[in-house]
Amino acid sequence: MSWTIFSSAFLTAAVEWVEAYTIVLAVSLTIGWRAALGAVAAASATLVGLTAATGGVLALGAGISWIQLLIGVFLLLFGVRWLAKAIAREAGLTARHDEDEEFAATRAQLASADGRAAWLVAYKGVLLEGLEVWLIVIALGIGGAGIISSAGGAIAALLPVVLAGAYLRSPLRRVPENAIKFVVGAMIVAFGNYWSLEALGGSTIWPIGASALIALVGFYILGGLLLIAALRPREPREVTI
Amino acid sequence: MKALLKTLFGDLRNCCVVALLIASEVAMIQGDWAEFAPLVLPPLTLAGVFWLARSWRAVAT
Repeated sequence: MSWTIFSSAFLTAAVEWVEAYTIVLAVSLTIGWRAALGAVAAASATLVGLTAATGGVLALGAGISWIQLLIGVFLLLFGVRWLAKAIAREAGLTARHDEDEEFAATRAQLASADGRAAWLVAYKGVLLEGLEVWLIVIALGIGGAGIISSAGGAIAALLPVVLAGAYLRSPLRRVPENAIKFVVGAMIVAFGNYWSLEALGGSTIWPIGASALIALVGFYILGGLLLIAALRPREPREVTI
Repeated sequence: MKALLKTLFGDLRNCCVVALLIASEVAMIQGDWAEFAPLVLPPLTLAGVFWLARSWRAVAT
């Protein structure tokens, strides 16, 4: 079990499950919990099928550098976006993700929807949020050995979200989503850099081997904090005459 | 379909940053500067993140 992979998958999945829960909660108020959970089960089955199929294909091709490069590119596509978004939000350049707003928007969307349309909203919501989890689980589990850690992390992240959701029955607005996205973004960018460069330059390209991953995560967290400070709009100074 | 593509790839700016990073990696490896790549790549990535984060201000305003 790799705890670095487990924690990266856990944090990524937790953010996505919280967003999926908000949609399912809104849908459940229209078509009831039983039908909404049916949509969740259908979307989850689709995601499990995708994970099993792609995991198997990637395990067969483990060690092939172009697969490693492809995974590295996807990790960079995700990580760079998450890290930049978290930095922009923390610096106040753009609004933070608001679960209450998301909940209200979904409720408004469902106002004129029938049961079937509402079911599809829940299915698509869980599927799209889950697709990001699927990609991270597959990317972090490359080579087969890490798949248990990454899938385990993603499944374990369901537990606190389901428990908190069942207890509160309202949007999980107190989850520090931006902070989690910042840390996860740094981790995913580190993995993306590591694998893409190793795929192109060979296994000896990183002078300190796998320890480079920890150094890279630290670099992006520190660098990200500096970027937040640099991008935060400055208060205009008061001029006294 | 649009939502799926956006989930997988993000927007055009995001794709450009990643394409530039990969192109830089290829250039360094092909150009015999492979030993510098682990040192150059992280600051380059952070610069891309900086540009992307800053561009959100332009989009928001």
